[in-house]
Amino acid sequence: MKLRTATPIVLAATLALTAAACSGGGPAQPPGGGSSFAFWSFTGINQKKSVEDYQKANPGTQVKLTEVGTSGETAQALTTALAGGKVPDLVLIQGDDLPKFVQQPQNFQDLRQYGADKLKGDYLDWVISQSTAPGGEIIGIPTDVGGMAVAYRTDLFEAAGLPTGRDEVARLWPTWDAFIETGRKYTAATGKAFLDNAATSVFFQAVNQGPQKYYDPAGNAVYATSPQVKTAFDLSIKTARAGITAKQSSFSQGWSAAMGKGDFAVVSAPSWMLGAIRDNAPDTKGKWDIATIPGGAGNWGGSYLAIPKGAANPKAAWDYIAKTQSPQGQLDHFVDSGALPTTPSVYQDPKLTGLKDPFFSDAPVGKIYTSSLLGLKPFLIGPDSSAIGQEFLDVITNVEQGKGDPAKAWETALANIKTAIGT
Amino acid sequence: MATTLTPPPRTVPGREARVRQGPAERLAPYAYIAPFFLLFAVFGLVPLLFTFYVALFDWNPIGERVFIGFDNFTRLLGDTRFWNAAWNTISIWLLSTVPQLLAALLLAHLLNHARLRLAVFFRMSMLVPYITSVAATTIVFAQMFDRDYGLLNWLLGLIGVGPIDFLQSGWGSHVMIAVMVTWRWFGYTTLLYLASLQAVPRAVYEAAAVDGAGAWRQFRHISVPSLRPVIVFTVVTSTIGGLQIFTEPLLVSRSAPLTCGPVRQCQTLTLFLYEQGFGRFQFGYGAAIGVALFVLIIAIAAVNYVLSARIRPER
Repeated sequence: MKLRTATPIVLAATLALTAAACSGGGPAQPPGGGSSFAFWSFTGINQKKSVEDYQKANPGTQVKLTEVGTSGETAQALTTALAGGKVPDLVLIQGDDLPKFVQQPQNFQDLRQYGADKLKGDYLDWVISQSTAPGGEIIGIPTDVGGMAVAYRTDLFEAAGLPTGRDEVARLWPTWDAFIETGRKYTAATGKAFLDNAATSVFFQAVNQGPQKYYDPAGNAVYATSPQVKTAFDLSIKTARAGITAKQSSFSQGWSAAMGKGDFAVVSAPSWMLGAIRDNAPDTKGKWDIATIPGGAGNWGGSYLAIPKGAANPKAAWDYIAKTQSPQGQLDHFVDSGALPTTPSVYQDPKLTGLKDPFFSDAPVGKIYTSSLLGLKPFLIGPDSSAIGQEFLDVITNVEQGKGDPAKAWETALANIKTAIGT
Repeated sequence: MATTLTPPPRTVPGREARVRQGPAERLAPYAYIAPFFLLFAVFGLVPLLFTFYVALFDWNPIGERVFIGFDNFTRLLGDTRFWNAAWNTISIWLLSTVPQLLAALLLAHLLNHARLRLAVFFRMSMLVPYITSVAATTIVFAQMFDRDYGLLNWLLGLIGVGPIDFLQSGWGSHVMIAVMVTWRWFGYTTLLYLASLQAVPRAVYEAAAVDGAGAWRQFRHISVPSLRPVIVFTVVTSTIGGLQIFTEPLLVSRSAPLTCGPVRQCQTLTLFLYEQGFGRFQFGYGAAIGVALFVLIIAIAAVNYVLSARIRPER
């Protein structure tokens, strides 16, 4: 029988599946107690470094760090763990995933019992307000924010006859309309795309620049009537129809390739995007610079540290939060990793303002990004904010691809959101 | 019980054997198959029944659970996203299964050829796609189908055909995923067919050749009829597999993974289930989608059974 080899393979596959099923999802839970605690974080943000620093400064404490996966996967694992009852002592939650946990504060330790309410003033008010439940429980301490800016290619701007200095470039686009006009000029001069895409680079930025996004302060969903949302939507549709985008969705394979080849000259860059640009287009070192974003202010991203209710060693976990997330701790972490502090008291510190990034033509990243945060006004993030954002994004992308009817886009988006969230 | 356990007389080797059969011997067969059924009960049956239960609730895994009866199902039937996912699933399943089985049939026939050199090499290399990680296959194929930098569009460009945006168009994304599925499974199916073909005595082919039957007539009148039982088997297994396609649509669209693109153009039922259950944490609604998928598979399997009963070889 020639089939003989196939059978063991099928068998092996079945066994592997069974074994996977037996071992049951999430990372293993180390025994609690003493001065050791289990910490779940994301991959790709070099959490090991801060854990090592903490262990060096606090000998005798053992941090059992697990890099679960992407931020979304970590939130999923946490959900499963909370439902199942075997939880870590400390967990990092990305801002977009946070609201659904804040909605169920009974799953987490109220950090006010460790004095978080006294530290509240250290952090940007609109950031810590996102991890505060309606009943006042503080369930997370913000570790970083994703201040906004625009990254652009100086060499491509020069070839298109545009200015290249970051201050002059910022003056090209005080508003999003001016930004689109600059794009038209660039595309007319070069025949190439100006921007990566309309959905994330315009909509996701513009919609965050105001006091009210998808929910009003009372928690009602107002995405359909909020002027800020409509304005951002119209701007992104205008961008999509202007023919100035490369139609590459952020983080797609084509997007990475186009970035390396210089097939677009501009990308909206939250502070954590700088690392993505470095990784995706290492050969473009020194050809980028960073200018302020149209409208001046903005934020995209940021994470929080939380302690689940059933944590075996919450005290040790809180000690880690208190020491690493103090203004000084966040400043040190910024110098090491580029993660932007959430503590405005260090925004004037020369260690922060003096930091320059050679990949981006020595742009003073600390100064540029923190200035984008100070003008921000807090808005309420609701339980369905991420689902609403995704539906808007999809409709804009579809128009950009030439498939969706721009005249009906707004109605389509509202109908899709209604289907998705039921209200 | 005892009567069903007693083997029919013609297979009993002798009287002595029957006398020695104590309770241990009678239970032994059940003990041998028990591990499978125990594992199946724990990892198959219990989750299955629990899914039916969860589907009756508005179930937040870390919050409240409210009994809502059949509301999830009512909502599902009126949800355009569900019908879209069902259509995508059936479309991708047909696009991947039909060409796959036809190609496997032809390849098995060719590989069974008496004068084929390096037969073992060719036969074994058919399995390579099958043992390659699905994720790796998907990422490589997605790269090949890319709009601006893909190999396929570069080739099309050489003959003057404009770039096709496979992922963003409905049919294009279906074809793209179907190609990945076909690539992974056709070797496995081919080997199943080949194994079956090798059971056909070579003399039958030789006699047919002597009688003047060409390659096509040999294929049509000897290979295909002798493969009928295994064809039925592969149709059933590829139906079950095809209706549960998940990894490929999840990985092709990295910017909108849970919907496989901005207009859910290649979101399959399993991916829709995952989006609702684990993306949005609506366990109840996700479970309802699972039940719907279960019903769909049962229905299609029943149709398959009726059809395959018809093409079963006459004895």
